[in-house]
Amino acid sequence: MTLPESMRPTRRHVLDLDDFTRHEIETVLDTAIGMKEILSREIAQVPTLRGVSVVNMFYEESTRTRISFELAAKALSANVVNFTARGSSVEKGESLLDTMRTLQALGADILVLRHSYAGTAHLLAQHFRGAIINAGDGSHAHPTQALLDLFTLRDKLGTLERRHIVIVGDILHSRVARSNLWGLTTMGAHITLCAPPTLLGNEQFWLDTWPDLRIVYSLEAALQDADAVIVLRLQRERQEAGLLPSLREYAQFFALTSARLQAAHAGMLVLHPGPMNEGIEIAPDVAISAQSVIEEQVTNGVAVRMALLYHLALHLRRKGA
Amino acid sequence: MRYLITHGMIIDPSQRVATIGHILIEAGKVARMYEMTDRLPEADPDLVIIDAHGCLVTPGFTDLHVHLREPGEEHKETIATGTQAAARGGFTTICAMPNTHPAYDTPAVVRHVRQIARDVGTVQVEVIGAATVGRQGRTLTEMASLVEAGCIAFSDDGSPISDPAVMRNALAYSRMLDVPIMSHCEDTRLNKGWAMHEGAVSMRLGLPGYPAAAEEVQIARDITLAAMTGGHLHVCHVSTAGGVELIRHARQHGVRITAEVSPHHLTLTDRWVLGTLDAPPSAAQGSLTQRLDQYSHIYAAGIQSMRQSADLPLPAWLNPTLLPPFHTSTRVSPPLRTEADVEALIAGLADGTLDAIATDHAPHALVDKQCEYGLAACGISGLETALGLVLTLVHRGALDMLNAIACLTEGPARVLKRTPSSLRIGTQADLVIIDPDYQWIVDVNQFVSKGKNSPLHGQRLKGRVMLTMVAGQIVHQELGFGMTPRATPVASRLEGILNTDDDDA
Repeated sequence: MTLPESMRPTRRHVLDLDDFTRHEIETVLDTAIGMKEILSREIAQVPTLRGVSVVNMFYEESTRTRISFELAAKALSANVVNFTARGSSVEKGESLLDTMRTLQALGADILVLRHSYAGTAHLLAQHFRGAIINAGDGSHAHPTQALLDLFTLRDKLGTLERRHIVIVGDILHSRVARSNLWGLTTMGAHITLCAPPTLLGNEQFWLDTWPDLRIVYSLEAALQDADAVIVLRLQRERQEAGLLPSLREYAQFFALTSARLQAAHAGMLVLHPGPMNEGIEIAPDVAISAQSVIEEQVTNGVAVRMALLYHLALHLRRKGA
Repeated sequence: MRYLITHGMIIDPSQRVATIGHILIEAGKVARMYEMTDRLPEADPDLVIIDAHGCLVTPGFTDLHVHLREPGEEHKETIATGTQAAARGGFTTICAMPNTHPAYDTPAVVRHVRQIARDVGTVQVEVIGAATVGRQGRTLTEMASLVEAGCIAFSDDGSPISDPAVMRNALAYSRMLDVPIMSHCEDTRLNKGWAMHEGAVSMRLGLPGYPAAAEEVQIARDITLAAMTGGHLHVCHVSTAGGVELIRHARQHGVRITAEVSPHHLTLTDRWVLGTLDAPPSAAQGSLTQRLDQYSHIYAAGIQSMRQSADLPLPAWLNPTLLPPFHTSTRVSPPLRTEADVEALIAGLADGTLDAIATDHAPHALVDKQCEYGLAACGISGLETALGLVLTLVHRGALDMLNAIACLTEGPARVLKRTPSSLRIGTQADLVIIDPDYQWIVDVNQFVSKGKNSPLHGQRLKGRVMLTMVAGQIVHQELGFGMTPRATPVASRLEGILNTDDDDA
């Protein structure tokens, strides 16, 4: 596959979407269309990244993101190794940087990092000679999730320009929400945030950073005229930390139920980054309704990650040459 | 040895003196002052002349808040290295905080520390005793015995006393000893898991926040307890505008309260945690990736080659975009706050609400900082950059020089209820010579402190300690400083540059 000059990759790391231009996002999404075609072939594998070593460094539980990255790397014929914090030298007290240096010495070209502390991807990017992909760091950023959401939304809505997207749930602690805000606003979408104040944090921050953004406490009101809603996972710890009186009350006022779905615009899409707490933030019948694109998000995730791996590897090769 | 310091601008806040002249040091004491017109003593092989042309000569500084890490964490700092760093920073007396292992909570430990300080310390070390046993916040230490052993104040710094009844008793009991209780004001229930100041930057970075309120509610609590008991409350490292306001109000109502502020809280903000993110194009061009590449070479190669003395063009002081995002050198407790807080702290210093500038020098080993931001040890190695930071306030007109020096000399003495260090004839010669116009670039690898943890690495500062003297002995001297006549004092040289247009006319 050859890329036109305007799509030649210049990016070394993917840490967040805050430094992506609209053109760059579109390039990644367009590349992902081609990758999705590869995935639909009888033999869903191409030799493009043969000899490139990808290490999935997962310091936090994850099923779909890790498998998605693994399948993406394999579809491009890269060598892929999974590293999880359990059963590694981390348990013996090795630091993140030491582990990174070890993986570097073992020949890793691209590190995919998932970590429960914000800023860890930036930390590795300062010291690693290859490329870093942030697969979620604390409450900070989850750029590949946001890109696959953008891909899914663009695919279904045709464009993101002036489309109205609602994000509902634990926005304060959500890396998905943060990265999506950068990506969606860069693509010209209008955003409404919906959550109780304890899960929004400093509301002025959102309004100052994205002046067109709206904050609404009522989900019914938020969903009026929405083209799509991204439902966030509610961690049970939030209730234990006292941010919510009860999960029951949260579900009563903020869950996406079929009644709320029916009251909204008929074609409104439903997205969820997973894993879902069915019955808390989303009703089970909504998750499998015709408007739900949750399964497609997962499928698209592989294509989007293939596109990123491809771009980063090309850049590494060009630099190396 | 006798020393004659010539042609210096002598600034002595304790005497309200600011004049150009010469000082003779003999037998460890200030022996004589000369005016410019006076005849100087005869040349004498025993008399060392130190030319301080263009420099300030001031009493030695006192730092109320230093972590020397000994005993227990000697890999981070020792009394020897910490006092050497203090000498470099112009501090002739430093007060050691008790968060050591073991804590300074028994007379034996305190005597031991004081003995080491006498043996190896280059400056005077005072010991702050723990307020509660093991700094656990439950049982008061034997304060009277500790004062007998040499403690000059009490604090559980770093571990705030959460039980108000314990704090009440500490303030009440210490009254008979007439020593301050130095309170690290933090309600730890309001900032669980915190990594930085709670505000726009923490929201942006997804880092757990430490709201200003977590400091303010504890200051308010302690003020109420100090008012009730009549004890002397000293608020450590105030970092919030609300904290300054509470202290101002308490002072006006006669509460026995003093307070300190650190150089970094007076000059840096939470913007520093953001680093290169959102850097203006002029400061850092290209994508984040390219910027990461740019500063990695600065960090790897060191910046020795960039080091120069005078005549550097002065850009805006202190540029947060030299740091990568999430740089752990910016993690400190209390955290770097907002610009509004910085302005309120400066105003608090200027109007006397805050008594002293204290470094909260908190050295850490590299491994304590080279990790995830939220796991990094809190603290900045501050002794060697304190004056440079404080002078940024003077140079931009936010604080006058006499006031700045007073906050490093008279203010801390007031907190400790001591006679301030002074240049009066007959007093012990603890003094500092400062070149206020000397420009230099901070290079943490040049620190004598073991703690290289400073967000100021690579920043340009204007103003430097050239010589420090304790009891008439030189404990720090910039290479060759004062030994040859400084024919063109920096101040007049700068004047010449500024006046070139007039010369041409």
